[in-house]
Amino acid sequence: MIAIKSLTKKFGNKFLFENYTESFQEGELIIIKGKSGSGKSTLLSLIAGLTKPTSGEIVVDSQQISKLPEHFCSAFRRDNIGIIFQKYNLIESLSVRENILLPLVPLGLQESLMQEQAKKVMQQFEIEHKADELVKKLSGGEQQRVAIARAHVADPKIILADEPTANLDEKLVLSFINILRKMKSQNKTIIVATHDSRFFNLDFVDRIVDFDS
Amino acid sequence: MNLQLLSYVLRYLERGYVKNLSLFIVLTLLTTLLAAAFFITDSMRFELQKIVDETPDIIVQKTRGGMRTTLDESLVNEMLEIPGIASAKGRIWGYYYFQKADVYFSLVGVDIYEQEHRNAIISLLQKSELEVGTMYVGEGVKRVLAENYYEDYFNFITPNLEKKRVYIAGVFTSATNLESNEMIVMQKEQLREIFGFQENEVTDIVIDVANPSELPTIALKLTQNYPNFNIVTKEDVSLSYAALFNYKNGIFLALFIIAFFTYFIIVYEKLSGLSSADKREIAILKALGWRVEDILHAKLYEALIISFGAYILGIFIAFGYVYIADAPLLKEVFLGHSGLKPEFELLLVFDMQTLFMLFIFIVPVYVLATLIPAWRIAITEVEEVMR
Repeated sequence: MIAIKSLTKKFGNKFLFENYTESFQEGELIIIKGKSGSGKSTLLSLIAGLTKPTSGEIVVDSQQISKLPEHFCSAFRRDNIGIIFQKYNLIESLSVRENILLPLVPLGLQESLMQEQAKKVMQQFEIEHKADELVKKLSGGEQQRVAIARAHVADPKIILADEPTANLDEKLVLSFINILRKMKSQNKTIIVATHDSRFFNLDFVDRIVDFDS
Repeated sequence: MNLQLLSYVLRYLERGYVKNLSLFIVLTLLTTLLAAAFFITDSMRFELQKIVDETPDIIVQKTRGGMRTTLDESLVNEMLEIPGIASAKGRIWGYYYFQKADVYFSLVGVDIYEQEHRNAIISLLQKSELEVGTMYVGEGVKRVLAENYYEDYFNFITPNLEKKRVYIAGVFTSATNLESNEMIVMQKEQLREIFGFQENEVTDIVIDVANPSELPTIALKLTQNYPNFNIVTKEDVSLSYAALFNYKNGIFLALFIIAFFTYFIIVYEKLSGLSSADKREIAILKALGWRVEDILHAKLYEALIISFGAYILGIFIAFGYVYIADAPLLKEVFLGHSGLKPEFELLLVFDMQTLFMLFIFIVPVYVLATLIPAWRIAITEVEEVMR
């Protein structure tokens, strides 16, 4: 599903990855663990095509995303990848529903179809009761659920989550773990970059990739 | 058209309504100001051109001590002997100062058998006869007289301080409002009495030439034959109006420069880059799968809603301001001599070229100033923008 071949990524003179090779299978739940600055987030960005590698290949679902022109890369991301950012990256002046609908806007779908899709994910991630509230008025946990719902709204095959529990308390972390279990049951390929040790012993995690070693 | 994208853009504009509404208002005011100035100048240009078109080929005037004076009408026969002159006629006209209203009226003496007068007067005279003791007045004159309780007649004061009562036979309008509005038309003999002219005295002599290409030659002959006379050709009249209009254009230029600099500041501010919140929003949208063209489409809608909306609204306001409200303030700036002429209404002249020029100035420039910074951010790596 995702193949990383001889990946090199440099920032200035510093190598973050040098000839790194890895692969992730369809339906796998992978935890990437590592300290801050170890390259976890950058790997997710590279897989999502948000940044380009210095050299090497990243093949996602037989598309060489690292070499795709920007135009196709965005379209590929829209159709295949849902991202949950560390700081959620929601547009605070928009409502929950409007934030969730954002990935569908360029598709030019019918309003009713879009609303139906948004309703489905809002119900799934238990945020429907806040649908018309502005995101800036929500708690951290609620904002996280909006970000998760938004990542799911276009029904992507791959979910990338970057430090999803970094700013959450114990209760909300457990809630996210439950959501993760639900996502896994939908046979999505999920890659979570985190240094939160609570993820390392989960029975439904397929593999842990340790960037510290 | 992607209605969801349009809906997102409307929501975006609503979210930043203070900034966007301010921009919309400023652009609307700029369009209104420029369009109103264009409408007034177009209207003036049209009226002045009409006047020039109706001007005789040559006007012969006499000066004494640098001041205009009357001529002897017998000169007409002398002039008719010059080859190339098709017709020559003495005219009686002048200004009458109505002290009470502090305005000047243009008085024109006509002979119903003569055809050298303006079309408006000719058509007027064809409708009814103008008897001695009566006059036709322009709408502006009628209004000024009525304001001063002269509903049916007016008492002119002659140079010998005698009162001459002349009854209003009718009110006329014409395509050229600028001149006819302040005009009074009456029989020549009547006007001679009011001005205190002798029987053979005329204000000037108007000449029409058979072949327009010979006009300079005939004008030269007249200058040689009558060195003490002022020979004014149609071209001279046109040039003097052009000079007057250039002065008006100076006012317009000042307005245009002010509007241009205001607009330049808006465009410069937009071109100098997006706010950090806008940059972040573009990066988020890209991360969510929006393509560069989706972002540019959204920005295009945004720019068009503001600039085209402001343009259309500005044109409508200017139209109403100039042609319905008669351009208060701006009209004074452009016409300036309200003491000399009674008020006149601006004639509707709709020049598509003017509107197109204004459109080019307002809409595409604003659209580009919106698209360029958005495009710069949209083609930058999302990671870089978010960092």
